[in-house]
Amino acid sequence: MTVPTARTITISHRRRILAGLALAALAGVALLTAGLVASRSAQREETARRLGIVRVQALAQSLDRAGIEGDAARDLVRRWAASDPSLHSIRVIALSGISLEASTAPDDAGARAAPRRLEREEKPLYDQGQRIRAAAETNREEGVARKTEIEIVGGEGPDGRLEIAAPLEREGVVGGMVAATTAKPPTGPRRGIALDVALAVVLPFLLFWIASRGIGERRGPLLATAAALLAIAISFLGVRAVGTLAEERRAGEAAVAQAAETEAARAARLLAETAADWAALGVTPTTGTPITTAAIDVDVYRRPYGGAAAGTPGAAARVARDAGETARAVRRVAIGIGLLALALLAFVGLGAAARFGATLRRHREAYLYVLPAMLGMFVLVFFPFIYGVALSFTDATLFNTDKSIPEIWVGLRNYGEILGDFAIVKQTESGAVVNYLNFYWTLFNTVLWTVANVSIGVSVGLFLALILNTRGLRLRPIYRVLLILPWAMPNYITALIWRGMFHQQFGVVNQVIQIFGGEPISWFDRWSTSFLTALATNGWLSFPFMMVVSLGALQSIPSDLFEAARMDGASRWQQFRSITLPSLQPALIPAIILSVIWTFNMFNIIYLVTQGEPGSSTEILITQSYKYAFERYRYGYAAAYSTVIFMILLVYGYWQNRVTRATEGIA
Amino acid sequence: MRTIRGFTLAGAACLAAALFLLLAPAAARAQKEIVLWHAYRGEEKAALEEVVARYNAANAAKGIKITTLPIPYDAFADRITAAVPRGKGPDLFIYAQDRLGGWIEAGNTIEPIDFYLDQPTRDRFLPTTLQAMTYQGNVYGLPLNFKVITMIYNKKLVSKPPTTSAELVATAKRLTNAKAGRFGLAYSYADFYYHAILMNAFGGGVFDAQRRPQLDSPANVKSFQLLMKWFGTDRILPAEPSTALITSLFNDGKAAIVFSGPWFLGEVAKGVDYGLAPLPTLTEADGAPMRPWMTVEGVFVAAPSKNKDAAYDVAKYLTDLSAAKTMAVRGRQTPSNLKVYEDPQVSADPVLQAFRDQVEVAIPMPNLAEMTLVWSPATTAMNTIVKKSATIPAALAEAQAKVVEGIQRLRGGK
Repeated sequence: MTVPTARTITISHRRRILAGLALAALAGVALLTAGLVASRSAQREETARRLGIVRVQALAQSLDRAGIEGDAARDLVRRWAASDPSLHSIRVIALSGISLEASTAPDDAGARAAPRRLEREEKPLYDQGQRIRAAAETNREEGVARKTEIEIVGGEGPDGRLEIAAPLEREGVVGGMVAATTAKPPTGPRRGIALDVALAVVLPFLLFWIASRGIGERRGPLLATAAALLAIAISFLGVRAVGTLAEERRAGEAAVAQAAETEAARAARLLAETAADWAALGVTPTTGTPITTAAIDVDVYRRPYGGAAAGTPGAAARVARDAGETARAVRRVAIGIGLLALALLAFVGLGAAARFGATLRRHREAYLYVLPAMLGMFVLVFFPFIYGVALSFTDATLFNTDKSIPEIWVGLRNYGEILGDFAIVKQTESGAVVNYLNFYWTLFNTVLWTVANVSIGVSVGLFLALILNTRGLRLRPIYRVLLILPWAMPNYITALIWRGMFHQQFGVVNQVIQIFGGEPISWFDRWSTSFLTALATNGWLSFPFMMVVSLGALQSIPSDLFEAARMDGASRWQQFRSITLPSLQPALIPAIILSVIWTFNMFNIIYLVTQGEPGSSTEILITQSYKYAFERYRYGYAAAYSTVIFMILLVYGYWQNRVTRATEGIA
Repeated sequence: MRTIRGFTLAGAACLAAALFLLLAPAAARAQKEIVLWHAYRGEEKAALEEVVARYNAANAAKGIKITTLPIPYDAFADRITAAVPRGKGPDLFIYAQDRLGGWIEAGNTIEPIDFYLDQPTRDRFLPTTLQAMTYQGNVYGLPLNFKVITMIYNKKLVSKPPTTSAELVATAKRLTNAKAGRFGLAYSYADFYYHAILMNAFGGGVFDAQRRPQLDSPANVKSFQLLMKWFGTDRILPAEPSTALITSLFNDGKAAIVFSGPWFLGEVAKGVDYGLAPLPTLTEADGAPMRPWMTVEGVFVAAPSKNKDAAYDVAKYLTDLSAAKTMAVRGRQTPSNLKVYEDPQVSADPVLQAFRDQVEVAIPMPNLAEMTLVWSPATTAMNTIVKKSATIPAALAEAQAKVVEGIQRLRGGK
């Protein structure tokens, strides 16, 4: 079967680049438009939420002054529902009595009229009230805005109704909650973007078609023209997007300012009416301080929205600042999309896409066979890895598991904290002290641990393998089994036994030292002795693996090499250096690479034998990462730590590979 | 031919059996099933199953049935964390209250039960145990039983248990011979959980009333000074006290007095005649008693459960008088139910009575999520103090700094 080479050569650059430009323009514009539509609807939703909060918060502020319980409160709610028909199903809950104090919900009439105790099906409402109370108290105690104090649900779909619940306070203590449902907000005027989108797609295509007639078949200029046209189209769309978003934001802000004024006026009027009515009967609800827009236009943490509520002096600055941020964000996204589109243009225009398609077609059976394994690898290896790396760029902790990744994005801050912290030594009153939680100390410890362990493992393993390889050794199988046992037994148990053996008062090791007349050592008191305990344990555990590898390699060396060397008069040591060691290299090098990677990440021994004592000084990188994740609950930071470990091992693996390939040639 | 017919017959039989199994329980499914997870073994498990059987018998007519599932203790907390928020967990589970804060903050794990809780039910329990089940003002579970540290002594060596710390030191000194490996007092003093008995006595502790850490408070410093006096000056304590060491010393008759909890009693050898007494009062703290942390095991309703009302009724049943009596007599637990201690069978048991007396002065262990960050710096501080590689105020100040930083990172906020 001949490859149709003639056909590929005659497809003109012009046509290919034209196709590439069309595809890239379509893709780029589609992505940008999707982003714009999403941003616009997000902005609209935010405005709808603000309007909802303004209405409910005005009612909440009035109830704070009129009281949560009692007929005055019920009267106020009734008047409010009559005055503002857009608020449905207003319900006021009092926490201490588990009671429904006031309600305009159509169901709560007759026998079920307020005030009454809440029924079992209404438990979620009561729990919501308690949740809001706990949130308000936590935020006040901790001094941070961590838990939402106003809960909003809904807003999606054609319904667009919001269910809003806000706390009710008396003298700084949250005693109840008001919950209401708002009607669908009116949709403001929309500026059509269809025209802009169409222009951005069609114009570059047309202009390029015209220009290319003049340029001919020269690939370079064709590509340059296409790229320029694409960039102009995307920038144009980006600018229009910024304009649309800014306009809608201004309209939204104006609407909220208007609503806040209306609601504040309504609150003042209705409070005065209620007070007047009840004063006549001798009951005076407090009117308190007047209700300001800053108290009504709040975010979900009950702070003035964005630091400055609508209609207040700081609002204009806030709007300008937000507009600037949006412009910057759109610019970043547009540049990103533009680069992607340019890449797509190059991919198709330079013929790479055609070649890729041909390869797929030619080898499609092979790709089909590999597909299940690729899927499995993706789900089990690549996806968790990518998720971990994504997590490392966030500030994920136990307390914000409900937030999505973009909300808690902190970029490279975690990496900066890990790699940029050079304060290894601190000055305290008792002199210079090493900061054992520092990354570089832990790295030093890990490297030292790895080097020491691998050296011990290799030397002891090789030594024993040489002994076992003696010709005519009796009971060799028994020795082999005994020497493999340390590796075969579960290292969890043996680690704990070794830890017990190093006990200061009752451990075997100290008893032996005392028999020889020495002083018992408190092994876990100093970094050096603590390190030695872990080293001894892991040395004991790791030599069997090296021994087995070396034994296998030794047995494959042909014995006539040694015969020849002996006849030439070489000493045992010369034989070892010139014959044995080079022959062991192909087997030992991979074993050493494996052993380095295993030992670098040897969690069990450090965690069980020394537990990082004394004072986290013998921690290795992996145990430190574990403690950050599961003891300090800082998932993002621990993910960054793990990614750094991965990078270190990747660099090591790559370097090791290159070095050993260079030495493979020696026979 | 024979084999083909054989296979066909076998296949038909399997199909029939499968259909039968699938269709038959459809009738039985009209029953409501409440799933209860627990980590009990041995006698405790048998006692719980007896209580559950009684409930099932009494409620068979209503069609409510409890199904228990024992899960190994080591894996229990992780399973709850992983399975329950995703809706794959039980309706109810029994566990200690120290993880409560973490689970509540993670969300969708435990259901608050203030709505169901009425005054008579509240009055059933020892007030401090109900407090242990409370987080940020809401009650999240019903307390089932409690565990506290008390004084366990060898009756052969100690005829009259000491009631004050002065008496304790005198008695212990008499019985200590370090060279022979004998010690008057042995307890895991290097474990922060055990050191709490001294901290709380002096009025210190981990968190103050506003949930802020106070590891370096003067009261805590005094508690460490007392410990170092016992270890360094009076020399009545062994070095590097692991639980295995304490157990073996007590069983060999080489430790006269041990501070430990009900988990220790199961490890005591048969020949040792032991007695229990309340922890002594501290003369150094103006006669204040040593206050251990109590670990309260509670029954929690899972938030995604579809039968919350029924699950709460089960929880109420598991903590009422008759169930408490079974758990006490057969399961050897110390229930949180107050009235059960008036029952003659329970009041005749010296072990249960001793723990009941001790719990009067016990403080619930903090159930905040931030508590897990405290263990590591606190243990480091304890080790440095005991090995004398730092002064007490310096070690505690460093632990405090680490905890404060950890909490700030955890809470984040805008």
